[in-house]
Amino acid sequence: MSMMLDMRGIVRRFGHVVANDAIDLDVAAGEIVGLLGENGSGKSTLMKVLFGMLPPDAGTISFRGQPLTGHTPAAAMAAGIAMIHQHFMLVDAMTVAENVMLGWRDAGRLLRRKEMADRIRDVSRRFGLDLDPDARVAALSLGRRQRVEILKAILRNAELLVLDEPTSNLASAEVAELLTVLRRLRQEGKGIIFISHKLPEVLEICDKVVVLRAGRVTGRTSVAGASQGMLAEMMIGRDVTAPRPPMVASSPGPARLSVKDFLAPGLARLSFEIRRGEIFGVAGVDGNGQIELVEALAGLRPAGSGAITIDGHDVTRASVAARLTRGLAYMPADRGTTALVKTMSVAENLMLRDSGRPPYGHGLLLTRGPANAKARALMADYDIRARDPSFIAGRLSGGNQQKIVVARELDRRPAVLIAHQAAWGLDPGATHFVLDRMLALREAGAAILYVSSELEEVLAISDRIAVMARGGFAGIVPRGEVDPRQLGIWMAGRAA
Amino acid sequence: MIEFLAAAIRIATPLALAALGGILSERAGVFAVGLEGMMLAGAFAAAIGAWATSEPIAGLLLAPLGGGVIGLAVAIVAVRFRADNMVTGLAVNVLALGLTSYLMRILASGGRPVSMRLPLLTALPIPALSDLPVIGPLLFAQPPLTYLTALGCLLMTLFLNRTQAGLTLRATGENPEAVFASGGHPARVRMLAVIACGAVAGLGGAVLTLQQVGTFTDGMTGGRGYMALAALIVGRWTPWGAAAACLVFGAAEAFELRLQSFGVPVSSYVVQMAPYLIALTVLAGLGQSSKLPAAIGQPLPSTR
Amino acid sequence: MSDAAPAADQTARLQTRRLRLRRDGLGSRIGVALLLSLLCAAALIALAGHNPLEAFLAIVQGAVGSQHQIGASLNRTTPYLLSGAGVALCFRAGIINIGAEGQIAVGGAGAAAAALALAGAPSLVAIPLALVGGALAGSLWAGLAAAIHLGRGVHEVLVTLLLNFIALLLVQQLLAGPLGQPGAGFLQSSLMPRSAWLSHLAGFDVHAGILIAVVAAAALSFVLWWTRFGFALRVSGSSRLAAAYAGFSLARLTWGAMLTAGALAGLAGGIEVLGMHRRLIEGFSLGFGFKAVTVALLGAMEPLAVVPAALFVGLLESGSLAMQRQIGVPTALITVIEGLTMLFVLAATAARR
Repeated sequence: MSMMLDMRGIVRRFGHVVANDAIDLDVAAGEIVGLLGENGSGKSTLMKVLFGMLPPDAGTISFRGQPLTGHTPAAAMAAGIAMIHQHFMLVDAMTVAENVMLGWRDAGRLLRRKEMADRIRDVSRRFGLDLDPDARVAALSLGRRQRVEILKAILRNAELLVLDEPTSNLASAEVAELLTVLRRLRQEGKGIIFISHKLPEVLEICDKVVVLRAGRVTGRTSVAGASQGMLAEMMIGRDVTAPRPPMVASSPGPARLSVKDFLAPGLARLSFEIRRGEIFGVAGVDGNGQIELVEALAGLRPAGSGAITIDGHDVTRASVAARLTRGLAYMPADRGTTALVKTMSVAENLMLRDSGRPPYGHGLLLTRGPANAKARALMADYDIRARDPSFIAGRLSGGNQQKIVVARELDRRPAVLIAHQAAWGLDPGATHFVLDRMLALREAGAAILYVSSELEEVLAISDRIAVMARGGFAGIVPRGEVDPRQLGIWMAGRAA
Repeated sequence: MIEFLAAAIRIATPLALAALGGILSERAGVFAVGLEGMMLAGAFAAAIGAWATSEPIAGLLLAPLGGGVIGLAVAIVAVRFRADNMVTGLAVNVLALGLTSYLMRILASGGRPVSMRLPLLTALPIPALSDLPVIGPLLFAQPPLTYLTALGCLLMTLFLNRTQAGLTLRATGENPEAVFASGGHPARVRMLAVIACGAVAGLGGAVLTLQQVGTFTDGMTGGRGYMALAALIVGRWTPWGAAAACLVFGAAEAFELRLQSFGVPVSSYVVQMAPYLIALTVLAGLGQSSKLPAAIGQPLPSTR
Repeated sequence: MSDAAPAADQTARLQTRRLRLRRDGLGSRIGVALLLSLLCAAALIALAGHNPLEAFLAIVQGAVGSQHQIGASLNRTTPYLLSGAGVALCFRAGIINIGAEGQIAVGGAGAAAAALALAGAPSLVAIPLALVGGALAGSLWAGLAAAIHLGRGVHEVLVTLLLNFIALLLVQQLLAGPLGQPGAGFLQSSLMPRSAWLSHLAGFDVHAGILIAVVAAAALSFVLWWTRFGFALRVSGSSRLAAAYAGFSLARLTWGAMLTAGALAGLAGGIEVLGMHRRLIEGFSLGFGFKAVTVALLGAMEPLAVVPAALFVGLLESGSLAMQRQIGVPTALITVIEGLTMLFVLAATAARR
């Protein structure tokens, strides 16, 4: 079988990090290839190289017999490669037909609306997309919107479709529909790269699977004969359950954060408790309700029903400020515009959530002298490397920025800490620093909710681990009983 | 009654043309606060053209240029330099106000504005149609820019809905990212849209000088640009909707003129508030349901 | 902490203050913008067949050539400074309040009504009460804008713009009715009682308004940099998400900023009435709203820096009459300079983001 796509020895470095280390990938016409791997395993870098968004440092790409070198995304599209992103590039306020016609030469300068609608109906019927050209995108389910993207690709004569986490936002019925569409595409001789974490789907739809870990191919197998456990192991590895900083066995006390029958948009009913001196880790693929959960707990999203209590006090409908006084600390994943004000100084960012309390403020006034002294002390304690407290936070490195957030939230001696992607994008040194501080806080008796899509991080510091999928917990295990296969299966969205 | 409706149409015409321009700008994602300045510059350019050549047609040709220059200034500062749309609009309004009165004065010596008595564009009755009772004189015996306004609504509707360029323009106001992904250039689209907005709004200004007043006076637009802005929002960013809103505002003003001429004992100042009160009330009534183009006012990422 | 720390903090504080304007070369960017607009103005003067240097010189002489002229310039500066500082506060919080014109007009009416009602009261009672009346009226007008904006979700630019027109007509209505001087033939009120006139400062033709304005700008700067409210305003102006995360209420901040700006604009209106015209006259606030925006931008939205910015605009306008009289360059040039300055400052300060 001659290959449609042939990527050989792709290497791509970012500084010292090797994101892609001699990766080979090939796809034949009429074949679905699964590309599996954790966040940061190098999948998206590889796809960016394929699509011409990043030049490779070494390696060759050939597509339908033609070499692709130094190409642009436009050239990749023209050659017949289509990328279907997790975030759809659609205009919600427009109809399906209008989205298809946007920027498409065949639609004509004076739009041939009727002809286009007919073609859309045609293709939609042929591939089972079930799309009405006159439907407004805003009114479509996420699954249908994805099919609009697929429709666009087909109409523009794409031969190879790259689907990036195509099922992560879909309900299960929609997933089934998508898989049907993909089978239809395979029949028509299209090549497909199916990027996913979700093992059951990969096993169900793909012909073969390539597994990446830390920039390398760790597994390459035909789907026939492969099992979920085997793939999970290739993806996650075996060594991850050993804690990096050796952890003192926790002697958990009474519950400090308790969540009962909690419901909010984007979340399934949740009940859990985190006790004194406990780190409760939440792993899972992004977009499975993590942001909804942490923001509801932090008071940034309205609660639906159920109850949240901190040390026995009900805070279900309390304001952000009231939760702060109850001892709730929160480190948001969005560092750029939520956790920090990048145009403000280090000192001002350190007092962002505490400006009404000494040493930062007194009554209505800010006390700048003591606040600056405090800022200096925190900069020393938390190793924030800035010239002085008046240095602009946005000019610091990501690691130093995150240390500001850590310093601010931990210095309050919180009863409960919610940390979301706390080590995201940090170098190993800074990651280590952040994890160390979490452990110190645990020693001090706080309850910590540690949410991250980096499984290794979660495993390294958590006393108990929950896996989040589709807005709820697919399962919860104590650290001693972690089975990587089981975690992989939970992450794939199936309860045990 | 016919007089009243005729007055409403007369007052609505410059507003509607400006609103048409504003639709181009806002649907491409740039707030059209600069309409006032664009209209004023168009009115001025039209006056100069007609004055210098004694030909109203020359004024008609110059008006889009005048408005377009102001549009260009907005395009550069708000799109290229990504400054706040609203404040940029205000700035060009001030600039247009100053520049037109300055130029009017340096055209004549002695620091007084040059005095103009411009030939007006005359009504062009459409044969047969203009003889119809009531609607004949009302709709089919209008000066050229009034016809152009109606035609403009039609063409703008077709442009927005039936052409690739119109589709791209609307998409740029909704999701520039999607335009970029489909091979377009959002920044270019926005700049062109704002310049075109200036040109069309400039014609709206020309209605005042060439069709109604016959001269140029300082700040003669007197807030009409802002009313046009309110009208296009009330009209939900559609040409016919905006034109209808302009007619409502025009009717309010015409009503006020009628009241005054009848000597009804209602204070004229209170009545003059009517168009503004109506605009404010309708906007408040629409509330958050008046859905803006999704990406309006948001600067484009600098790489695009 | 070592003993050296407080001293270090002292210097850090001073540095912060200087940094505020120097940050990212903001000061020099605004300087370049100003220079560019003056260059454009020079070209326009040359276009009119005059010598730009002579014209600029005439402006300077007209603005500061004599004690009388200095006084007139400072009087011009006063309303721009007051309303501009308030607008700067709103801009800092990300609220585009362009309603200063209407707030000044309503404020003037409020002050005039109070002063007329207090006829016979001693100055020490009449003046403060009349000014408070002006500030309250201005606040009320700005509060109306805030209510419509927050309550109905209409963009604040549209609300404040439309309310400007309504305010001007409202004042005209008042002058045609209860506040008007019967038989004047103009839309104006009776002369304010003498006890309510703002006195001149010794030796200068300048009323006390400029002092009030400078104190107000300093107070606003204090609020912005030394109070929790000011901090919250600055946070929400930089990032609404961060403000919510910090636990600040956006609605409350909007109310606070709008009411403060309205009070300052109303105060400006009151000072114009009591210090300049000594009566309420039609359209006395025309164009003031945009000047407030101009000086707020030129002052980098820092109330203390609005002082020189307002002074610059005040001097330009006050000197422009001399330029027109002596050289023959129309005063409208000043409006051109203001518009260009706004544009250039916008481009220069936004390019960095």
